[in-house]
Amino acid sequence: MADNMNVTLQEKDMKKVGATQKVTGVFAKILCYTFLFLIAIIVLFPFYWMIISSLKTLAEYKLSVPTLFPKEIIWHNYVEAFEAANLGTLFKNTVIVGVVSTILSLVITVLSAFAFARLEFKGKNTLFAALLATMMIPGELFTITNYQTVSALDWKDTYTVLIVPFLVSIFYIYLLRQNFMQIPNELYLAAKVDGTSDLKYLWKVMIPLALPTLISITILKMMGAWNSYMWPKLVTNDTNMELITNGLRNAYSDASGDTNFPVQMAAVAIVSAPLFLVFLFLRKYIMKGVSRSGIKG
Amino acid sequence: MKIVLQNLTKIFPGRNKKIKEEVVAVSDFTFEIPDGKLVGLLGPSGCGKSTTLYMISGLQKPTGGKIFFGDDDVTRLSAENRGVGLVFQNYALYPHMTVKQNILFPLQNLKGKDKLKKEVMIERAYTAAKLVQIDNLMDRKPSELSGGQQQRVAIARALVKMPKVLLLDEPLSNLDARLRLQTREEIRRIQKETGITTIFVTHDQEEAMSISDLIVVMKLGVVQQVGAPQEVYDNPTNLFVAKFLGTPPINVFEGKVEGEKLYIGDAAVLDVPGVSDQPVTVGIRPEGFEIDPNGPFVCNLQNVEIMGRDVSVVSTNEASLNPVIRSIVNSDNKIEMGETVTFSLKSHKVFLFSKEDESRIYF
Amino acid sequence: MVESKHKWKAWLYLAPAIVLLLIFTVWPIFNTVHVAFQEGYNELSLIGGESTKYGFGNFVDVVKYPGFVTALKNTLLLCVLTVPISTILALVIAVCLNSIKPLSRFLQTIYFLPYVTNSIAIGMVFAAMFNIVGSNIGGEAELITTSGIINNVIEFFGGEPVNWINSGSSYWANITVMVVYIVWNALPFKILILLGGLQSVNKQYYDAAKVDGTSRFRVFTKITVPLLSPMLAYVVITGFIGGFKEYSSIVGIFGDDMGHSGNREMDTMVGYIQDNIDRWQGRASAAALILFGIIFIVTMINLYVSKKKTHY
Repeated sequence: MADNMNVTLQEKDMKKVGATQKVTGVFAKILCYTFLFLIAIIVLFPFYWMIISSLKTLAEYKLSVPTLFPKEIIWHNYVEAFEAANLGTLFKNTVIVGVVSTILSLVITVLSAFAFARLEFKGKNTLFAALLATMMIPGELFTITNYQTVSALDWKDTYTVLIVPFLVSIFYIYLLRQNFMQIPNELYLAAKVDGTSDLKYLWKVMIPLALPTLISITILKMMGAWNSYMWPKLVTNDTNMELITNGLRNAYSDASGDTNFPVQMAAVAIVSAPLFLVFLFLRKYIMKGVSRSGIKG
Repeated sequence: MKIVLQNLTKIFPGRNKKIKEEVVAVSDFTFEIPDGKLVGLLGPSGCGKSTTLYMISGLQKPTGGKIFFGDDDVTRLSAENRGVGLVFQNYALYPHMTVKQNILFPLQNLKGKDKLKKEVMIERAYTAAKLVQIDNLMDRKPSELSGGQQQRVAIARALVKMPKVLLLDEPLSNLDARLRLQTREEIRRIQKETGITTIFVTHDQEEAMSISDLIVVMKLGVVQQVGAPQEVYDNPTNLFVAKFLGTPPINVFEGKVEGEKLYIGDAAVLDVPGVSDQPVTVGIRPEGFEIDPNGPFVCNLQNVEIMGRDVSVVSTNEASLNPVIRSIVNSDNKIEMGETVTFSLKSHKVFLFSKEDESRIYF
Repeated sequence: MVESKHKWKAWLYLAPAIVLLLIFTVWPIFNTVHVAFQEGYNELSLIGGESTKYGFGNFVDVVKYPGFVTALKNTLLLCVLTVPISTILALVIAVCLNSIKPLSRFLQTIYFLPYVTNSIAIGMVFAAMFNIVGSNIGGEAELITTSGIINNVIEFFGGEPVNWINSGSSYWANITVMVVYIVWNALPFKILILLGGLQSVNKQYYDAAKVDGTSRFRVFTKITVPLLSPMLAYVVITGFIGGFKEYSSIVGIFGDDMGHSGNREMDTMVGYIQDNIDRWQGRASAAALILFGIIFIVTMINLYVSKKKTHY
């Protein structure tokens, strides 16, 4: 083998090779950044268009040569959007439904995850496997019967109907159980020896240690309430009981019956803003939660 | 191919705005590695030995200095154009490829006039595999191999392109003790058979001493000593090297020289001609002690461990800088289990070091 | 694990979850199957107004019904178009993002923004961007005031404006808009997963490849993609499942009528179920079972293929 190794490059060749590899490296970097910035512009453009459109007059919006910045900023579009779409009531509904369902959901999830992670009872593994299996079934399949059930229970047009059917998420139970299982069992045994009750142990040890997961669940659940559209539309006849997203499709017409696009865009901006703010402050938890769940709220 | 490192220096910039401090990983390293030798870079973790290896491979660019392969300056050349084979600490075998595909991979990268025919590639892959004795495992996945086998595959992959230089990063650290002994002999054999200039990095002095032609002892980016293993062991240039090499480690004492005599405590233990009066640090190799009832050096006996041919005598002394003194003597010596044990010293196993800079004081 | 002296305690903790699951998850599974096989089941059946018999009637009705066929075709088409496009695009973006240092985190945050949006809200923004405003659009006496920013851009580069979503627009124009919007919406999740996968790949594989002089293209096809195959399989499977449940993005652009003409020509499977839920529950149930069947089969195929392709 040693004999075959006399393939030494001449010094001149070496310099040339060094130069070309540097050039291709720089070229690839430039190409990379150009592509990434182009994508960033495409990603951001709808947001930009939403904001500037929401501040234009309808006349300016309709110009055949579009303006990239409003000539005159019409803040009033936002007031109009808020009033026309009944956003105040819908906002209140969404917050109530979101907060109540998140709290109840967290309690149920924590208790169930604790039982599955730390307690021993007959049929535990079978039950858990059966629950996981239901995750395969698309939610639409449940909707049909749930619609019948809530109609029969006469829950339509109440907060109950918006909250109760979605309180249990098997996925969240699974997520939290995995998290709980990572906490060493010795801690639980030590607590037992010290005579700590299960609930106290759960509250003082497990929950603080699993806090990041609980925050992720909270955010995803709130986002779920904020984005839900199908179910509220189905189970509410009274538009005052709808949630915020339903309000978006309300008519934004001017006197002549045409759609008033700037006001519509203002409504879209109002609905989008809280999600952005939450994202801004809790980016880490959201991205972590999403990368584990893969579900859109 | 001989390798020359000239004033090689690597400085890592501060990690962020808060930690602005630069880290000097390798400082002014000058060294010539003769053709066809097996060289061990040795030092505690963080001494810059891996950085040196990566600079030779081309994966890291030196901040200063030059690297020559033969007469060619390769300093500015990137890794793929240097013709080096590199074996990573964790082997870096592609998990989705079979052993054969892993070994073939470097050959399939060749382009233009270097491009090989498929049969030639397979033949060379088998030649390399035979050399490391894994030619019967060619269709396995890395996950189906033991640590030692993975190591061999990694070496075969590095050898298959017939590199001018073979670089091994901590090649044995992921193996268990038994495999380690076996594999280091194997590396020695492969290196001898191929005659490729080979550099490997290790923190294990025993490993480096046992197979290297030359060892380089490094500390905090600075080369402490270069030489044949036995020579470095017998003649350490400073306290660090003396302490780093040898198992059991060297015994270190507070001492002083007065009138060309070495004192440890109040006892004059050795004649040290030509050394001026000064306080010193004394290093004595475990095999530098001799049981001698009339000897000058008295220690408090703690324990005697019989290890077959040799006897390890564990004792204490107020001047010792280690918790205990370990000395190894021939088992023919009769040791009285009394309060004390008395030694005379072999002068070529006793080293004196300056109190100021820990450098060696010769006598 | 602790052998609890009070086993009833575990059941106590589980009680709220189990009660709710029995009512809203377990019962619907049985009931949906039951209803789906009751021929002609509708809202009157619930209150006992009409007697029905068991059979495949609902399935036959559903499959015969042109609206369902359209919905199935649209759903499949959108899946087949958007999943590969968004996966490949996300892969290229993730690889680029992984290869740069400055601005990488900043760009990553930007790319994630579409995820934290309401798909109906931003669908309306897309609709506005593709919208032609004027009167009699698609008719003889067409009068356009603005042809929409997308058409403006097309015209700027010398192209012909297209009627994307307004009345008279073609089916493929509608599909194109939907594909653009769905891909835009699907990128963040895929980039996040693939980038996470790339970052967990041991850097030594790339160092090893570099020492061996591997070209960028070969590194990508022979090392990056195979090592990333579990994540790719994951985003493809979730992409297909999400694709088969496409609904609200179409509402965002075309409104509850699922199209510009009032004929629900952009309807999807979920849209069809939703449309029948309060009247023809038998058909809705049958359609839901068909949807479940498709998702199940596609997931199994995906799992089978990815198991064959990712073997380590």
